[in-house]
Amino acid sequence: MSTVSTPTSPSSSAVGMRTVPFSPGRLGIVAGNTFLEAVRQKLFNFLLLLAVALVASAQLFREFNFGSSELKFISDFGFGAMVFFGSTLTIAATAQLFFSEIENRTALTILAKPIWRTEFIFGKFLGVFAVVGVFCALTTLLLLALLYNRETALMAADSEAFEHGRIIQYGDLVLLGVLQWLKFGVLAAITLLIASFSNTNLYTVVMGFFVLVICHLQYLARDAYAQVASLPLRLLVRLLGYVFPNFQVFNLADQIGIGAGIDTGVFLRVAGYALIYIAVIGGLAVYSFRNREI
Amino acid sequence: MKFNLAALRPLWTGLLVVAALAVTGAAIRPFEEPAWQAVRAQQPALKLDSLQSALGQGITAGLLGGFRAIVADFFWIKTNSVWEDSDLPATQTFIKLVTAIDPRPLYFWQNGSRMIAYDMPNWRIIAAGGYEKTPQAEQRRIDEEQSAVALKYLNEAFGHHPDSPLLYVEIANVYLNRLKDKASAAEAYRKAALLPNAPYYAGRIYPELLRKLGRHAEAYAWLKQLYPTLPKDIDTAKGITEFQVQSAMAPVVLERIRELEKELNIPQIEVFKP
Repeated sequence: MSTVSTPTSPSSSAVGMRTVPFSPGRLGIVAGNTFLEAVRQKLFNFLLLLAVALVASAQLFREFNFGSSELKFISDFGFGAMVFFGSTLTIAATAQLFFSEIENRTALTILAKPIWRTEFIFGKFLGVFAVVGVFCALTTLLLLALLYNRETALMAADSEAFEHGRIIQYGDLVLLGVLQWLKFGVLAAITLLIASFSNTNLYTVVMGFFVLVICHLQYLARDAYAQVASLPLRLLVRLLGYVFPNFQVFNLADQIGIGAGIDTGVFLRVAGYALIYIAVIGGLAVYSFRNREI
Repeated sequence: MKFNLAALRPLWTGLLVVAALAVTGAAIRPFEEPAWQAVRAQQPALKLDSLQSALGQGITAGLLGGFRAIVADFFWIKTNSVWEDSDLPATQTFIKLVTAIDPRPLYFWQNGSRMIAYDMPNWRIIAAGGYEKTPQAEQRRIDEEQSAVALKYLNEAFGHHPDSPLLYVEIANVYLNRLKDKASAAEAYRKAALLPNAPYYAGRIYPELLRKLGRHAEAYAWLKQLYPTLPKDIDTAKGITEFQVQSAMAPVVLERIRELEKELNIPQIEVFKP
């Protein structure tokens, strides 16, 4: 177990790691510690409380629903809270948990032990992914309860409007919660990739938010590609369309509350898309981190 | 001076990461494309031809998420506040801001266009000295200017609601009530009536306008085609409600067919048989 003297040099680390097999157990320990560290943070509790309070308060804002139906408004508002605070939590928690190890020098202690950088990076990822999973589960459950409660009240008040039964498809809400979780997973992997070469927490957080916006606008690069006349610019636009994942593909919440359901095939494709990106970007974060001097 | 290859390692790593992401993006595209097309088909906001509008939508959807509904609602309250003060520049700005933030509700487009086409000419004429002092030609010019703004605004709405008959009805009303242009109004009502979920009255107003334009034969042909499609009796099995039967006003349509048959001197043998 003492084969790895210092992992700061990639070559010596690689030589040492050849004698230590990859261990899901060690991965689990890193993930567990990351999860515990995250839930103890004020940031997680603060954002979770804010999101829960906001989702719960959707009922109070329902008088403002000028343009859409009340249930659609509550659903939009709830998923808005989940997306906004979930993205903030994912970027901030990932960056903070990664850099706390670097700044406190605990990364040196951990990596001096026979532990793969892959285990370290994916352990961090799984810890954050679990934290975001708890966040998504709680907000989705709360939204489900709110919508069910309000829809039941509306059905009692105006049975004619609900002659075909309930408008909200509650199974779809769960699927949407899962999709948001997977999207945050891709975002966490991207943040880890940035953190793997970045020197500061602040830079990682700022870049994380920039990439979040770019990923939401990625579809424009795909559209613009066909309209650009200049060949070099056209190739650049096409490259941008390929480099960044498309976050709008996760945006299925618009269908909730207007009677439309979510196609299972579409859900599986989007989920697969997220998982592939998590694996690839996570792998690239490991590669980048292996080339980093700590 | 010795060239240090190790110094280039961060650059090399960065390029490799970008290349790997690009290859992944290209490889995964065929897998993602069907899902993306399905998502896009259900969200007109993502189908915008205008890059500027699409960029705005992308940013608001990405940054505001579901909050765009409530942010737009708050701005709609603000719109009504400045509308009460007859503040034309502010009202026009807020109307456009609301639909830029959340273009999904038709309510904003309909009411925004009404403020532009019906209220703003009134404000401008009052500001110019009132209806008695402002010459008719000037009043007409103001009406035309505001109607043009409203029509442009309503046409923008089709980017988000491509199959909305109510937008065509709104356009028809501007032509009819503000510009007194019956031909253009009739055409807009015709387009509305041909769309799914069109209000029944669109299909009745169109031939009435044709009659006023002297195009009786066209009106007669339209009504003959329309009548068989109208619900005449309540049928719960087919989902036909009392409201639908009342709104369709099939007896009124038949009555108009008979009136037109008299006006057009249709021989008894060729009259419409319901």
